[in-house]
Amino acid sequence: MKTNMSRWILCGYLVYLLLPLYWLVSMALRSNAEIAGEFSVLPASPTWLNFAEIFSNPVWYEAFANSLTYVGLNTLLSLSVAIPAAYVFSRYRFLGDKQLFFWLLTNRMAPPAVFLLPFFQLYSAIGLFDTPLAIALAHCLFTVPLAVWILEGFFSGVPTELDEMARLDGHSFLYFFFRVFLPINRGALGVTLFFCFMFSWVELLLARTLSGAATKPIAVVMTRTVSASGMDWGVLAAAGVLTVVPGILVVWFVRKDLVKGFALGRVS
Amino acid sequence: MLELVGAHLQTESQAEFDHQFAPGQITVVLGANQSGKTNLCRLVAGQNSRARGQVLLDGIDLKTVDPRKRPVSMVYQAFVNYPNLTVAQNIASPLLARRGQGMMDKKTVAARVDELAHKLQIHSLLSRLPHELSGGQQQRLAIARALAKQAPVLLLDEPLVNLDFKLREALEIELRELLRETNTIVIYTSSDPRDAFTLGDEVLLLAAGEKLQAGAPLDVYLRPQSLAAMQLMADPGVNKFERDSRICALRPEHLRTVTDTGIDMTFDMQVSAFETNGSESFVHGEVEGAQWVMRCDGMLRISPGQHLKIGASASDVVQF
Repeated sequence: MKTNMSRWILCGYLVYLLLPLYWLVSMALRSNAEIAGEFSVLPASPTWLNFAEIFSNPVWYEAFANSLTYVGLNTLLSLSVAIPAAYVFSRYRFLGDKQLFFWLLTNRMAPPAVFLLPFFQLYSAIGLFDTPLAIALAHCLFTVPLAVWILEGFFSGVPTELDEMARLDGHSFLYFFFRVFLPINRGALGVTLFFCFMFSWVELLLARTLSGAATKPIAVVMTRTVSASGMDWGVLAAAGVLTVVPGILVVWFVRKDLVKGFALGRVS
Repeated sequence: MLELVGAHLQTESQAEFDHQFAPGQITVVLGANQSGKTNLCRLVAGQNSRARGQVLLDGIDLKTVDPRKRPVSMVYQAFVNYPNLTVAQNIASPLLARRGQGMMDKKTVAARVDELAHKLQIHSLLSRLPHELSGGQQQRLAIARALAKQAPVLLLDEPLVNLDFKLREALEIELRELLRETNTIVIYTSSDPRDAFTLGDEVLLLAAGEKLQAGAPLDVYLRPQSLAAMQLMADPGVNKFERDSRICALRPEHLRTVTDTGIDMTFDMQVSAFETNGSESFVHGEVEGAQWVMRCDGMLRISPGQHLKIGASASDVVQF
């Protein structure tokens, strides 16, 4: 009886969570006429036309490509900067290390909007405006501190004796770092990648301001798609569905590491 | 021959000392916590620590040697192995690092791994990962990897302290056999005087970064130069008293009840505690205002609070 009860509650919660997602998918499979018409739970005549529109219209698929470009660039930049930084913070004591570490975090305390104006003006001045790199760099201001903080916690959990042992064994630092240290921190890298990707993927304000015609991100295109014939609900919904997909893919690929990572899995 | 010149192990102390470690000998470095044992190991291994001093191996200053080619291997107190490599890969790791320098082919490496795994009885675990091993097996692996390098100097920093009692004894006996075979300079740190007797050809006593005494364990035991040195070599501690304004000391195992023979001095003990494990007993109590311990064989019928006449042979008294 009791297990039945909790099962129902759990199912109810799941439905509550998935309902908006289902409605998005179901809208994406209907024509505009059907969306505006009678209420029905299932699409009466499912159609792929909305998706076909996105994959054939350059405005849509280029927006996806733009978004993926700067998000990928951001994730790559963040990780390649944060990994060495986190390693140094976890392994070395130097003048002002604690202050520097804390200062990194303070970057995250300001709302992104604060940086809109300086970024916009600066990028315009040096000709970086309307390039994927502009948005990726702007997002780095938030993702790098986050990545350093997450990684430092994990790296500090690895005993320094391991570094020393590798050196005594006669291994070069690069061998140790890439063949031992990074592989045993795979969970940490997965979690960090997830957070960087997600931040950059859903961030709208900076992306919208720093992008022009050439780099318009998908989220921006979605908020601006009003045609002469009114809102194209179906296509918009299909774009929404496709926007969710990369997030799901990232989670899928790092899911094993995520579980370890969120358990703050100290290396055993 | 490994030489320490002007070794300074502790920032808090001014002490500097020289010491020589002979090849083919196991030197047990005995000291309490914070006495500088680990710093001594780190100094020899060339790792960051507060220790300073010159380390000479056969007359060559090790500071001039590339850290990656330093002829030293080390086993840590914590069980440190490469977590992402199998047992076999772990043992092979120092060999492969040298293979890059063109010293060994694959077959030799495999044979060596096999040999070491057999010696340390982990040959049935070769394809496992370190976290799948028990603590004792993990430390066996760490020792195997340290031996694989065949460095002229082997450091073991309290390697068995994290293991439970039975495992420790078994591994200790094996270690003695393993280490005696080679012509290596072995430095083994410990806080347990028993290790000095079971393993050591030589013992080096450290206290607060200072070298108290060195020599063959039995010599140091019989002829301690200071009370601190005698304390370090005794488990439990020694019993102090004063005669003719000189400080004297007696070991717990040299005290006896007065019914025994061979006694030419007696003391009054107010018993405060009594512990036994069946084969030996320890009687704690107050003698002449100081806390004493007496060790006896077998069980004794003694209860706390009682007065006990105890005695010792005058020849066992150490005077300072």
